[in-house]
Amino acid sequence: MSSLTPDQIKTLEQSRQRLVQLTHSLGSLITSLNQSDPLPSWTSLQSQATIISNNLLTISDHLSDNRALLATLVAYPAPSYPARNPANTVALEQLLRTKLDPRVEDWVARGRKAGDTGPGQGHGLDDLAALAALWDWAPVEANLEARRRNWGGNFTLEERERGVGNVVTGLRRVLEDDDDDSESGSEEEEGEEESGDEEGEGEPDEMEVVGVRRKSGVAQGLEFDIAPAASGHAAPLTVVAPVVPLDEILRFMTVGIMPSQR
Amino acid sequence: MHELLLFASVPAHQHHELLQQLAGLTAMQPRHRLERRLVFKAYRKPGLVTTRVGASQDVQGADMQRLNKMLNGGMYYTQVVGPVTKADFGPTSSSAMSASHDADVSMSGTDQSSYCYDNQPWRLEFRDIPEAGTRSAVTTRLMASASLPKGDIAVPMNAWGYSFVTEYMVEGDVFVQNDIVIFLHRVLLYPQAESQDSHGPRQQLPAYHELTPLERTGSYVLQAAITVQDGSNQEMMKTASQHLFGLREQLKSAVRLEQADRLSLDTRAK
Repeated sequence: MSSLTPDQIKTLEQSRQRLVQLTHSLGSLITSLNQSDPLPSWTSLQSQATIISNNLLTISDHLSDNRALLATLVAYPAPSYPARNPANTVALEQLLRTKLDPRVEDWVARGRKAGDTGPGQGHGLDDLAALAALWDWAPVEANLEARRRNWGGNFTLEERERGVGNVVTGLRRVLEDDDDDSESGSEEEEGEEESGDEEGEGEPDEMEVVGVRRKSGVAQGLEFDIAPAASGHAAPLTVVAPVVPLDEILRFMTVGIMPSQR
Repeated sequence: MHELLLFASVPAHQHHELLQQLAGLTAMQPRHRLERRLVFKAYRKPGLVTTRVGASQDVQGADMQRLNKMLNGGMYYTQVVGPVTKADFGPTSSSAMSASHDADVSMSGTDQSSYCYDNQPWRLEFRDIPEAGTRSAVTTRLMASASLPKGDIAVPMNAWGYSFVTEYMVEGDVFVQNDIVIFLHRVLLYPQAESQDSHGPRQQLPAYHELTPLERTGSYVLQAAITVQDGSNQEMMKTASQHLFGLREQLKSAVRLEQADRLSLDTRAK
């Protein structure tokens, strides 16, 4: 066991000073956030953040520079240490801990995790060209994939090819495969779509927007495929809004005044 | 007793679906309910103060007396409700027309329906006008019910100072979820008969299919109600309205339960 050289003591002193500086700047940021009203201007916040980040950088540099020394140092209490004083005991326990403080342990774990998943790891945002390429590629590909499908109907093409009867839907009611004729030709499909549109303009019939796609050729504009409500429905329920308002019904129930008599 | 209510209008096409949803929500099968409802209106008989005349011998409970006091205090519309079953309705055969005529003309109808007006149980349902200016978004009103003597109810009601206004049939299903009674119902009107005046309640019921819904499209009314015994207990009232709001939230995607227009439930006789 050798005693420390003056140089090594100096290194330790430096670490201490820098850590004290960091604590100070963090403390002043916290107090300014807690106490100043209104909140400090963003410029002052930013300058404080810069100071803190510089502090952190110097500390980090310092620690990594003197890694060899700091990693091998061992602290132990000298026999002359006044350990009987309770205040000193606390300090002693802090100094002699071999594990990190539980709170600090959490911080470190979080920091490690952030470091692992951060931009340093994958290509992430750093590779702007790759990102741009991805964005170029994705919409087109999604569009192509979407066009490959005939939106609407209850079954996919693959399911229909394999036989609709084999599809396990988990539903008790029988889904109609009303799209059989659409395979015969696209013209007919167009006709269907148009009839669906006409229906949509008239009564507020059941309809659903089943697909949205970019208009082919033109850069902007969206096309909606509107499928007419399944015509094979056993009993097409007509949607009729109540004619007599609720109030009138309640009034009739209360005093027997017919709704029309008012 | 107080009653806290929320209402919603349910279009006919949604009825079946909502029944299923409610059955799922409340984990019970709907209880079908058919009720005759007679609307009576109070009129002030000269000199009538507290005299209770005839036909009330078999119901003289304490709540009956309280109700009597309440009824004579103000002038209110009140309802008399009688449960019926589908079997009570007239035959649905071709003789239905003549049967319904018989019903109006004479009591000795030759139809085979088991309905016996003299055995019809009745329940008096008094409802106050909903409280005004309540901060919570539920309809709150004072209510009281009492059972009445069986049989012809028009006479005792007249004696109490009530005249018959109209009658209708309510058809619907009841669910119960915790303390909430959910009643999905609609009003059915009796077929218009030429000899029908507002003399009094019908002695015979027409065939069920002759009833026509008040709302032509056949829409239903959803009513969610909680009855609170002690209306002055603010804590209890608050809890009850919280429960109703909970139900409203659960049914939000299906129907919109709302407070009813206060004046549409105005039972005061002007």
